Amino acid sequence: MTEVFTSVGRSIPRLEARDKVTGRTEYVHHLRLPRMLYGKIFRSAYPHARIKSVDKSAAEAIEGVFRVVTIDDIRTVIPHPYYGPAFHDQPILADGKTRFSGEPLAVVLAEDPSIAEEAAGLITVEYEEIPAVFDEVEAMTSDVLVHDELKPASTFADLKHLKGRKGTNIALDHKLLRGDPEAGFAKSDFVFEHVFRSQQVMHTPMEPFVSVADVTGDRMTLHTASQGPSFVRIEIARLLGWPENRVRVKVPFLGGGFGGKLYIKLEALVTALSLLVRRPVKISLTMEEQFFMVTRHPCTFRIKSGVNKDGKIIARTCDIAWNGGAYADIGPRVTQKAGFTSAGPYDIENVRIRSSAVYTNRPPAGALRGFGAPQTAWAYERHMDMIAEEMGLDKVEFRRQNLLRDGRPQASGTILVDAAIEKSLDKLLDIMKWNQPFDRGSGRIRRGRGIAVGFKGITSPTTSVAIVNLYADGSCGLFIGTVDMGQGSDTVMAQIAGEVLGFDPTTIKVIHSDTDVTPYDMGTLGSRSTFHMGTAVRLAAEDAKKKLAELAASVGMVPGSNQPISEIFERRYGMRAGNVIGVGSFIPEYQKPDPETGQSLKVTPFWGVGTNGAEVEVDMETCQFTVTKLVNVADIGRPLNPKLALQQLSGAGIMQYGFTTTENMIFKEGQLTNASLADYKIPGLLDMPREWINEFTDSIQHDGPFGGKGAGETTTIALSPAIGNAIADATGVQLMDLPCTAESIFQALKRAKA
Amino acid sequence: MEVAGLRGFDIVEPSSLEEAFGLLGTGDPAVRPMGGGTALMLMMKSELFKPTRLVSLRKLGEPFHGLGESADGKWVRIGALNTFSMLDHSPLMKSHFPIISRTMNTLANLRVRNVASVGGNLAHGDPHLDLPPVWMALDGEVRIVGPSGERVSAVADLYKGYYETTLEEGELITELRVPVKPDWKSSYTKVTTRAAHDWPAIGLAISVQLSGRQIQDLRIVLSAALDKPTRLTAAETVLRGRDIGEALLREAADAATEEVELETDNRGSQEYKTHLLRIYVTRALQDLVSEAAPK
Repeated sequence: MTEVFTSVGRSIPRLEARDKVTGRTEYVHHLRLPRMLYGKIFRSAYPHARIKSVDKSAAEAIEGVFRVVTIDDIRTVIPHPYYGPAFHDQPILADGKTRFSGEPLAVVLAEDPSIAEEAAGLITVEYEEIPAVFDEVEAMTSDVLVHDELKPASTFADLKHLKGRKGTNIALDHKLLRGDPEAGFAKSDFVFEHVFRSQQVMHTPMEPFVSVADVTGDRMTLHTASQGPSFVRIEIARLLGWPENRVRVKVPFLGGGFGGKLYIKLEALVTALSLLVRRPVKISLTMEEQFFMVTRHPCTFRIKSGVNKDGKIIARTCDIAWNGGAYADIGPRVTQKAGFTSAGPYDIENVRIRSSAVYTNRPPAGALRGFGAPQTAWAYERHMDMIAEEMGLDKVEFRRQNLLRDGRPQASGTILVDAAIEKSLDKLLDIMKWNQPFDRGSGRIRRGRGIAVGFKGITSPTTSVAIVNLYADGSCGLFIGTVDMGQGSDTVMAQIAGEVLGFDPTTIKVIHSDTDVTPYDMGTLGSRSTFHMGTAVRLAAEDAKKKLAELAASVGMVPGSNQPISEIFERRYGMRAGNVIGVGSFIPEYQKPDPETGQSLKVTPFWGVGTNGAEVEVDMETCQFTVTKLVNVADIGRPLNPKLALQQLSGAGIMQYGFTTTENMIFKEGQLTNASLADYKIPGLLDMPREWINEFTDSIQHDGPFGGKGAGETTTIALSPAIGNAIADATGVQLMDLPCTAESIFQALKRAKA
Repeated sequence: MEVAGLRGFDIVEPSSLEEAFGLLGTGDPAVRPMGGGTALMLMMKSELFKPTRLVSLRKLGEPFHGLGESADGKWVRIGALNTFSMLDHSPLMKSHFPIISRTMNTLANLRVRNVASVGGNLAHGDPHLDLPPVWMALDGEVRIVGPSGERVSAVADLYKGYYETTLEEGELITELRVPVKPDWKSSYTKVTTRAAHDWPAIGLAISVQLSGRQIQDLRIVLSAALDKPTRLTAAETVLRGRDIGEALLREAADAATEEVELETDNRGSQEYKTHLLRIYVTRALQDLVSEAAPK
């Protein structure tokens, strides 16, 4: 039976498109409040140093400076000024010592932001440098300790056992065991072991971080560019020791987030400042300051596989160290969630995974589009090609032979459902014309191609709540905490509500996050909104529809008749009055993995699945290369708005393409040497592959809203190894580290010749 | 509208040279002349330079403006305040120095080119800039005025070191003069190693006077990987007066890579840049020869 839809499945334009292109859209950067002060952050100059003294006098002497604030001042309003989603390890301002170069150490407040900036440049600090550790593998056994003691947040029950642990930089050690890998290696015909590395990169949203806090009476209002307003309220209430209803968090549109604007970023700082001075306080970061806010985890991944002569993978072990930088942020969750899929989308009987979140003296790392999955796929999909190469196996058939299929248990024990892995691979090969002859180039120009398969689990368990409010004139307001940061969630959520209610989605008003008004949502993250909030919206709309029908029946009208909705309200209340409020709340089924074995019958609500293919052209003399074709195929269930879905697939792919070829935070003894967009290179139009193809499979997520599921991360997962594999195919040398650069090919060729 | 990161400073626009010299001659390194200001803005944003006063040259009139051929047609005069876009769109430049508009394609972006000035670019002294090595390869010279009078300098003699020029305090470049050499060919190779749009890992400006496959005379200027744009005179000596061929190109590439010690930075190691120099010197010369004398 083919379902017929009137609202979902159509490529309607974004609801906010006209406002955005005409400059009418609201952003926090525009906000100015009466009596508002601007804060400018003074940052530490050393990656690891004790703070002997802070001299604020020259800054305070500048005319127009309202106040210069350090952690001692913050303590007068927040006695325990440490925050974080997984660990309460991050001080609002550096406390006694600095843990990374660029850490906020003091703030200057002034009515004029340029005065605040000038004064911040006059603060001087006396430091005593202490030994630092930067590499994640070294940090696992180093005597240099970034934190004296682990301080897990009570909100994550599974981290409780870490409380008070001392003498380690390992914040979390995630384990998974299935079968007996050592026995598996022993009986395998071949064993392969490789080490892969991913570099540190950052989110680079066009809209840098910005937050405003405004304390009035006994209420704190935050206007903030956040992907997770509900969490901000919870954490600020905890820091202040206030009930949640005294904290209000409002979020308009975001100019990109990509996982960076999750949890607490500037919010704790502006809250403390506003409480101190009893005035509204705003902090807007510059583009350059974003490098010191949150980044993506560098990682070192040692992967080992036992394979039989016929190509069957018998056993695999994965040892991953995630460089979380100075503060845990959501790193421990990245460690777990990317950890359990780190053996790849393959059906392997014996698997052991050890995935460790490690503290170092680098800027903190957190969530970034893909939540660790792209770093793991770089390893497992390069590893697959290298095994096939060494064994002389066909790279596609080797994968196909081992591919996980629906109905089979993944490494965690969770049975694979609605994961179109093979379908996605087939479509990719078809678009790549894989079975047709390929021009491998000649002379100094060599061409190569590669494919890669990726998958990821989705953060679980998480909750979304939605409210549909039908007003007495028959119009509709949709109250949701999902933040539209460019992905188009307003539009898709309106399409879902419209489908249930029989409304034109463009007439539905989506009310943006305001924790006084909109209900709880865990956050706009990890490809979860379409599935979780989409379901909550569907349930809320169904609830409203049912209540409206009941109301119609109660006044003697036929439910669902073509009489206008306003008529129902007028008959019931004698005038245009009243509301029908539908509520939907959704939490997917979940079973907590066993702490020792990581086994769970339901570890993820659904699977993100994507395949990627690349063709490259390498100048074998200069080693400069061009990606001539990139194909990304994703299983996103039923696309609820195909055009928006393709834009998301494309955007995610471009982002990952930058992380693969151009972007790299380069450190020298803990100092970032390229903290500007002139020297941290994001791909430009000229870097884009000549052919750039994004497609989705014909799939349905059976328990998703109208068959849909998330699409925001899928193309990021296996794009890097597709390019790495194509480079290996063209040049015959294997790149083990990201990014793939001309010089890395040059060095690999040189090693190969030696 | 918040203007982030700008400290208070003065921008003054003198209308005479005397006034300009007065405003500049303070001995304060935070007082600087300004052409288009694009490079200064970058330095100010990264807090490498905190001005107290910027002296804009745009109202200084004739000596800084205009673009035209000399009466005898032997050279082209380019006023220092010409923007890059003005050069790019000039038919005169296109016919005498096609290398310039070819270089413009890879240089910064349209908004910068619309503002950045020829003189400011020359006086800035950043070794990564694309045009100074090109002017050097074209034997360009600059006219300089200062409180103590006027002088002329070869562009090649403008640079002392990393961001260091031979301009004295208060001295201003008023114009650039480039000789017209109809029998010379020139090219600029901007080699980027990360994104297509980046500072060059190496910049290579070459001009040659050819007779068939024989190199009568030439200039090879290397920039970006050194502290200042530098003539590769050893390589020039190897090539001058000889017929282009594979062995000669190898010899020239050897000379080029031996006479300079390149610097390692985020765009590449010394080893890799040296490798690139060897290849691109060879390729650029081959291209110039085959362009002039197709086989």
